[in-house]
Amino acid sequence: MLEHRLIIVTGKGGVGRSAVTAALALRAVHLGKRVLTVAMTDQTGLALHLGRERLDYEAKEIRPGLHALAVHRPAALNEYLKVQLGVPKVTRMGPLARAFDALASTAPGIREVVTMGKVLWEVRKDAWDLVIADGPPLGQIGSHLRAPQTVAELVPVGKVREQADWMMELLADASVCGMLLVTLAEELPITETQEALTWLSEHHVISAPQVVANRILPALDATSRQINGAGPGSVQEAALMHTALRDEQQKWLTELPPDLQLPFLFGLLTPPEVAARLADVWGEE
Amino acid sequence: MTSKVLLITGGGGVGKTTLSAALAVTAARNGVRTLVVTIDPARRLATALGLKNLGSEPSPHKNEPNLWAAMLDASASWKAIAHRHAPADVADRLVDNPFFEAATQHFPASQSYASAEEMANYVETRAWDLVVIDTPPSAGGIEFFSAPAEMRDLVGGRLLRWLTGGALPGRRALFTLTARPALRIAGAALGSDLLERVAEFLMDMRTMYDGLARRAVQIEQHFRDARTVVVTTADPAPLREAARFYRELPDRVPDPDAIVFNRVLPAAWHNPKPPTDGPLIENLVRWGAEAHRQTEVRKEFAALWKTDTATVPWRPKTPTSLDDLAALIAEAKGLNLERLGVVPQ
Repeated sequence: MLEHRLIIVTGKGGVGRSAVTAALALRAVHLGKRVLTVAMTDQTGLALHLGRERLDYEAKEIRPGLHALAVHRPAALNEYLKVQLGVPKVTRMGPLARAFDALASTAPGIREVVTMGKVLWEVRKDAWDLVIADGPPLGQIGSHLRAPQTVAELVPVGKVREQADWMMELLADASVCGMLLVTLAEELPITETQEALTWLSEHHVISAPQVVANRILPALDATSRQINGAGPGSVQEAALMHTALRDEQQKWLTELPPDLQLPFLFGLLTPPEVAARLADVWGEE
Repeated sequence: MTSKVLLITGGGGVGKTTLSAALAVTAARNGVRTLVVTIDPARRLATALGLKNLGSEPSPHKNEPNLWAAMLDASASWKAIAHRHAPADVADRLVDNPFFEAATQHFPASQSYASAEEMANYVETRAWDLVVIDTPPSAGGIEFFSAPAEMRDLVGGRLLRWLTGGALPGRRALFTLTARPALRIAGAALGSDLLERVAEFLMDMRTMYDGLARRAVQIEQHFRDARTVVVTTADPAPLREAARFYRELPDRVPDPDAIVFNRVLPAAWHNPKPPTDGPLIENLVRWGAEAHRQTEVRKEFAALWKTDTATVPWRPKTPTSLDDLAALIAEAKGLNLERLGVVPQ
């Protein structure tokens, strides 16, 4: 997975997408890569897991080898107009950016192509060995991946069209772009991840996406006889709770066997501690 | 008779849909004629509610006489909204326009607005004593309440003014749109044809303004009359969403009637004094640490925002029947129908 130039991390809301993104970034830095992490749609989750209050649009160094930025849409739109469409310096950006924003809110694909454009532009820059994107939630992943295509269909000519073409090429290149789908071993996340996998294989946008199951409980090393033998009380209650939760998780994991399992973390952990612990687990795999 | 409204809000993945259903079942079993409007329920929950056909129309439950359930279909709702507020010929043109689908998915407030307008429609039929609304996940928590104002603003011409650089053009003026310097560049990038099509679409949207603005005021009145339940877990992301109800200005966001911590572990598991060691004790120790973390987080939240918190215990099995759902509320602490004003104290 870490051989790619870009990894997009996605998953249903609440499954720990940002934590997994941060952990993967820490792991890649540990292996000596120059890494950029990008918060695409959620502005706070990734920042907290990297130990920051917020991330800026300018890439900032978090620690040696690791940079991070967040795609703030007005800034991304300005950069898109200036750098990618080559809008001359003399133009007042305010009215143009607002006009574009009106379009982006209405015409399909424009908003997403600006966000995807920023990420793919960073991949093209060659300043990083690996770009890891804390991507849009599962429900929006299709519209983001297809955005260049949608725009190309909507806009037959012009500079936006040319930009869409190289984006499609980069996304379709299996040696460049990989994807991680983060899930929990529960009904809705598993079902939605299966639907996303079907969508991805039908649309040939990303090849070989990988599934990471987060917050998986370890097996309890005790027989049901031992649990019964413990007698009524907290020890038994906790054991019954654990085995029931774990059985439910294991049932859902057989529906969709993941490429990697990350553990449930118990007790008082700050978001950066969570990211560090998950990165360690990644290293052990 | 007027319907009471319960709005169930909170961040993603906290169990809003389940608790909406659980409160609705409990109310129905107390003799309250109840409609629950869910969004994207898990299959087994949908089955328990009798929502096999995923219909957006409220349908009565086969085995629970006072319970109705419906599912929000935002796309269908928006088509109905267009027909309600725009002249008939414009409405037909709007819903056929490919921009309509994109815009009603893109506007951050649009799913919330669709849900809020459905709420108002259901309340005004007066067919139910209680309408329970599971608010859309896209709205986080508080955005639901600003959705009517936001939609009114968008439909009223904010985007159109951005596109034209300030003026609201007549239809004929559209053809000179790309003569403006800023738009000449946008035109070169996108083709002037696209700009004109978007501007024309936004002008069609404006015909909804009067109707939608009137409706938004009525919806806001329903919000003021509603009871609000904010659901969270002890995890950082949903807690941030819950805190926003206290941080933001009170005229934009109602005071929650209940803050509900979901998936709560027993306090009795804290700091166990292990008589022996072994896997079972180890297991209690790590769950005890998690239970302790939850309690600390809850205490901190209550102290910071000077509020009571209700708790719903963590049950390992997801509810698959109405009895399972009712049990969740029966086992909850500080969350009951009296407190929410659904049944008399």
